[in-house]
Amino acid sequence: MKPKMLEIKNLHVNVGGKPILKGVNLTVGAGEMHAIMGPNGAGKSTLGHIIAGRDGYEVTAGEVIYQGENLLPMPPEERACRGVFLAFQYPVEIPGVNNTYFLRAALNAQRKYRGAPELDSMEFLGLVREKLEVLHIDDSLLHRAVNEGFSGGEKKRNEIFQMAVLEPSLAILDETDSGLDIDALRLVADGVNQLRDPLKSMIVITHYQRLLDHIVPDVVHVLADGVIVASGGAELAVKLEEQGYTWLEQGGIKAVDTHGTSSQTLQ
Amino acid sequence: MPGDLAQRWQSDLDGLESPQTVKWLRAIQSRARHEFNRSGLPGRMDEHWRYTPLRAFEGRHLVRSLPSTGFNTPGRIFAAQAPVQIDMSDGAPADIRGRGLEGLTVLSLQEGLEQYEGRLKPLVESLDCSGPGRAFTAINTALLEAGLVIHVAEHVDAGQLSILWRGGDVASGELHSSRVFILLDRGARLVLLEQFGPSMEMNDDEIGQPGPGLNLITQVDLAESAVLDHVRLQSESGSASLVTNTRVNQNGQSRYAYTGLDFGGGLVRHDLFVALQGFGAFARIDGAFLLDGNRHVDNHILVDHVAKGCRSDQFFRGVLGGRSRGVFNGKALIREGADESSVRQSNANLLLSPLAEVDSKPELEIHADEVEASHGATVGQIDDAAVFYMRTRGLDENQARKMLISAFCNSVLDRINTSVVSTADLESLASDMYLNMPDMAEAVR
Repeated sequence: MKPKMLEIKNLHVNVGGKPILKGVNLTVGAGEMHAIMGPNGAGKSTLGHIIAGRDGYEVTAGEVIYQGENLLPMPPEERACRGVFLAFQYPVEIPGVNNTYFLRAALNAQRKYRGAPELDSMEFLGLVREKLEVLHIDDSLLHRAVNEGFSGGEKKRNEIFQMAVLEPSLAILDETDSGLDIDALRLVADGVNQLRDPLKSMIVITHYQRLLDHIVPDVVHVLADGVIVASGGAELAVKLEEQGYTWLEQGGIKAVDTHGTSSQTLQ
Repeated sequence: MPGDLAQRWQSDLDGLESPQTVKWLRAIQSRARHEFNRSGLPGRMDEHWRYTPLRAFEGRHLVRSLPSTGFNTPGRIFAAQAPVQIDMSDGAPADIRGRGLEGLTVLSLQEGLEQYEGRLKPLVESLDCSGPGRAFTAINTALLEAGLVIHVAEHVDAGQLSILWRGGDVASGELHSSRVFILLDRGARLVLLEQFGPSMEMNDDEIGQPGPGLNLITQVDLAESAVLDHVRLQSESGSASLVTNTRVNQNGQSRYAYTGLDFGGGLVRHDLFVALQGFGAFARIDGAFLLDGNRHVDNHILVDHVAKGCRSDQFFRGVLGGRSRGVFNGKALIREGADESSVRQSNANLLLSPLAEVDSKPELEIHADEVEASHGATVGQIDDAAVFYMRTRGLDENQARKMLISAFCNSVLDRINTSVVSTADLESLASDMYLNMPDMAEAVR
């Protein structure tokens, strides 16, 4: 069995006193790509935010183990420095902060944490050029303020670019496909595929299957009403696309998977 | 309180009958003294001083500002190639360095009052000293003795000139007066960099006493098409009091670009009055104040659109931590007949602490037609979503906040023309500006 990258056990989370996650179990091995699908309001983004360390969520039960360590007490920057990355569904605009400057400061903060020497601006520029080439992104985004005035597609590409530079061990892509036209979607998916690595894991949170035509996951999970109700291979995504989420609500899932194993019953 | 202090300063003035060698000044000074004795100091009821109590002046006394020996430079001329630097100590010239350039004249005030009588006399006379709101003007005029005259001749580009203002005896409790005249002839250009502080640190046994105190009036006269870029950097200690009053007279097609950066001082009051007297004149008036502790910085601006077709643009950014207080009171007055004027005012502020305060008052008064005007003021806090986003990339909270604050203030630095102030100078300005920021970021927590 592959070493575990992430293990979520019986995770219960409240937001504003209201239960959102109601016992999530999920295990992601090193090098695996998992997709989490599900209807709106199922708790998909909450899961991403919890892993990244956002305030305002109350964990009432369960745990999140990342590379053998309890992730939940760590501040967001420590998680980042240890290799956790969240590509935001809505990347935040930071007026006045230059994109390149920001990313170099972030990378150097992470390198410092790991005891690696910081990169000077020339070294950093070299790294950036290399990544841009791999991702087929032009350098126009570099000279602008972080996400400021970016189109939806540019914002998402910028997230993938940050991921490429920061080289996280565990990346969570939160609805990276939303709001993209087909060309932008393909660009983003190509970027993600370039970054797949046997030692790195990814969790792709998505509402639609179309991203999964381009990024083929190892495992697909269905999150509904705060629990993972089904897990399966890539074919599960296709089935969801054909039958829609109402299929779940109509009792399509017989057995609820609560142990993170692959036992499920599909009609 | 203002009554007690006013009485004490009146008796200070009585004891300071200076032997004025410039005859035409005597009558003006005696009138100013009379005005002060009659009106006293502004109190809370005075609209223009309501945000700025004079408590910080308790314990201060008025003194003459005497030029130190060694600065006796009649008619000395300096260069633009090697920027001219002038050191001012307690309001009086102490040292000057630089190389000669035809067309740039720098004189001590005493020399200037004699050589430029014809131009300076109307400027001195034009200052209204009446009423409590003009008390510091009256005091400055009554004690007019130390300062500088800077003159740039027609079509001369005088390059960069810097003035460093420092308190000499830092714990003396003195309030010095100084006056600077800047005269730019037709088509002349000058970049003026002024730095206030930091003054020497106090000894341990002096802590708690009032630090350096300066009451400075700068009178600028810009002839047609003259261009003055004026950058002021203030990083005085928390015990320092600084009252400055800059008055700019602009003729047709002239340009005045002001950037005031305040991140120090105890009590700081800047008054800036710009009169746009000739067609096509343009004034850009920008400022950033970045305050912590108990600092108080009050910016009072009045742009008077007298002539047609002039533009003015006020742009201020404030960041306030601790128990600091910032004031932006910016007014544009567009007089009857000043048609086709364009006015912009913008003031945005970040409050970092629940105990900090900002008073923002952009005002427009329009009596003309076809005026293009916009103004806006905002007060907000640091965007938590942005801080979280930055933390998920590895920056700690302090770094993230600092980066956001820098970006907020850099919008002011970005407006400085880099062809007149070098990028290196701007970077050093920026780094000076953010020296006290870590404390500010923590003040919130």
